[in-house]
Amino acid sequence: MYGNLTIIEIDNFGKKIEEEDPIKLAEFEARIARGEKIEPQDWMPFEYRKQLIRMIEQHAHSEIIGALPEGTWITRAPGFKRKLALMAKVQDEVGHAQLLYAAAETLGKSREEMIQDLLNGKSKYSNVFNYPAVTWADTAIIAWLIDAGAIINQVTNSKGSYGPYCRALERICAEESFHLRYGYDTCVHLATGTPSQRKMLQDALNRWWTPIMHFHGPPDKISVHGEKLMKWKVKLASNDEMRQQFLDMYVPKIWELGLEIPDPNLHKNPETGKWEYTEPDWNEFMRVINGDGPCNKERLAVRRYAEEKGRWVRMALLRKEEKYVVPLA
Amino acid sequence: MQNLEALKNLLYRLADDFLIMGHRDSEWIGLGPILEEDIAFASMAQDKVGYSLSFYTLLHELGEADPDTIAFKREAIHFKCAQFVEMPIQDYAFSLIRHFFFDYAADTRIQALKNSSYDKLRDLANKISRELKYHCMHAKTMVTQIAKGNEDGNSRLQEAVNTAFPMALSLFEPTEFCEELAQAGICPTEASLQKEWLQRITPLLIEASLSLPQVPEPNPYYGGRKGYHTDYLDELIQEMTAVIRLEPEAVW
Amino acid sequence: MKIQSLDPRINRIELPEENNNTRIPPMDQWQTYEVFHQQARGDQHKHVGIVHAPNPEMALLFAKEQYARRSQCVNLWVVRTADVYATSYDDADIFEPAFDKSYRESWGYKDTRQLIEKFKKEKEMASPATPTSSSISEENHSSEETSKKKVVGKSGIIIGKK
Repeated sequence: MYGNLTIIEIDNFGKKIEEEDPIKLAEFEARIARGEKIEPQDWMPFEYRKQLIRMIEQHAHSEIIGALPEGTWITRAPGFKRKLALMAKVQDEVGHAQLLYAAAETLGKSREEMIQDLLNGKSKYSNVFNYPAVTWADTAIIAWLIDAGAIINQVTNSKGSYGPYCRALERICAEESFHLRYGYDTCVHLATGTPSQRKMLQDALNRWWTPIMHFHGPPDKISVHGEKLMKWKVKLASNDEMRQQFLDMYVPKIWELGLEIPDPNLHKNPETGKWEYTEPDWNEFMRVINGDGPCNKERLAVRRYAEEKGRWVRMALLRKEEKYVVPLA
Repeated sequence: MQNLEALKNLLYRLADDFLIMGHRDSEWIGLGPILEEDIAFASMAQDKVGYSLSFYTLLHELGEADPDTIAFKREAIHFKCAQFVEMPIQDYAFSLIRHFFFDYAADTRIQALKNSSYDKLRDLANKISRELKYHCMHAKTMVTQIAKGNEDGNSRLQEAVNTAFPMALSLFEPTEFCEELAQAGICPTEASLQKEWLQRITPLLIEASLSLPQVPEPNPYYGGRKGYHTDYLDELIQEMTAVIRLEPEAVW
Repeated sequence: MKIQSLDPRINRIELPEENNNTRIPPMDQWQTYEVFHQQARGDQHKHVGIVHAPNPEMALLFAKEQYARRSQCVNLWVVRTADVYATSYDDADIFEPAFDKSYRESWGYKDTRQLIEKFKKEKEMASPATPTSSSISEENHSSEETSKKKVVGKSGIIIGKK
């Protein structure tokens, strides 16, 4: 699971693009333009490396933190089928984090550094995971609609230029399709179930609609656009494009279940073919991303717990002769 | 069918042990000591819940309620699990040592059931034993390497062994059906299984420089097989069934 | 720090104090192993990713669940990343041939047949009455045909591609 973040915080420290070797830069850009992948040992501009590390790292953090809201219900899943599936799903999120950290490591940032930046708040993760899973139905909505948003994002990103990230995403997308089916099946059971099950689902949808609309990031008109990032195939679609795609695919499915989407203005404009909607509160988005969401503190405290309480295990197994080198691919 | 009551009792013990153990181990998902171990531990927890489902399914074929009803709508006193599996996960040292004791015990029993006179149990044992082989490899490697790794690792695991070993013996608590099951060739006696289990784990613990503590007599953790449980089991069941109880007749 | 969580698991643990200076020591996450996965007997092993592990035994245990928990697998290899020697992408041009090397490919010999046909035609023109063509074609093992058909080799074993 993942949402778009990287484009809202481009900064300018480090080597500027104008300072790069123009011949190497031209070769690099020509390779991407030909549709070839960039591999870890290739020459790449500093800015490309920096943006990719940031993006893949945030994606990895989002997976490991994303295991927590659904993990909230892991001991309470109703019945064998749900219990086993939720265990497998949350396990997959941990697995995705592992794959993504590995992809980011190939760019030269160690997993220790990335975890440290997560715990110290220097590095972000997808905003949606700072919201609580209040009832069982929240996990169903997350598994269906948040994962649906994530798939759109990840399928798009899997056509990017960086080889290791594309390879990781390919595997992740295959697993996400199980998540989506599981989430949809769970939602359909609630929607077609008893009145109180329906209500539980509707309430969860109401709670999650804003985070869902936040998921692909701020609208194009207020987010900083990286033309360069598009050219380098780090970013492949704009936030609004992905949001439109999501609405196109899922709003009809939500309506089919007889659920109400808590936005009276949501409709597809027959002339433009685009969805129109009330902008979600982007101030809230910024507030939550900067640490003031309902669960930010808990999420980081739990990750810190896992890292600190597990350290003795890692230290007991560490041998002096071990040596870290950057993974190959 | 002969020995039906005894057989059902055995199946309940197996199913309840696996369900509660799997449930406890699943509490680690997302909180494990390193990502790779988190993933491995989560798989083994799933496996165990899966085994419990197969045993409950067998019970259902023998006339008991369906698996979801048995597992999610039964009160603690009707559970036949050992007290060992009910205990909270505590720290990773305890959970790891419990995994070591439990999976070697489960594997010892499942290996024996491969020769059971009851064919359905035999078939199930053959399937389950493949995965349990990995569980034992994992447990053995982790425990021996951590214990041999450094002093801190060794002392934490030794402390966990001291706590967990008397509890682990509750997995072999004798039942009134022991002799009958053994005579019918369905399952060896608890005493013989325990002996075999000890023969398997003792050399591994010696290699890991870990020692087994004295166990008080009578074992204070006996009782689970007769329905005497710790309060932890009731809490666990209340939690596990929290959603289902909202609307017991609904389909989730 | 006491956080009232919606997750009962979290309420059972004692969360550490808030702290923005977590120091994760170097090598805390161990070294990495490259993982190779064989889907079925007879297949080549294929690189599928890495695991962090302190030693090869544990790398195998971890790789099994991270890379083979869904996909079919009969065998896994792990190799310490540090032990892998690789060519550099900067040197990728060493793989590009400088001139035509079709002489070492089977498809480099596809003109053979034409030569025979030409030869036959010339012969026919010289003495139109000789009936040779049918008997020669029996021994026709052109490279294209051997690659499609099964043929009996010298040892009597069936050879050729499927």
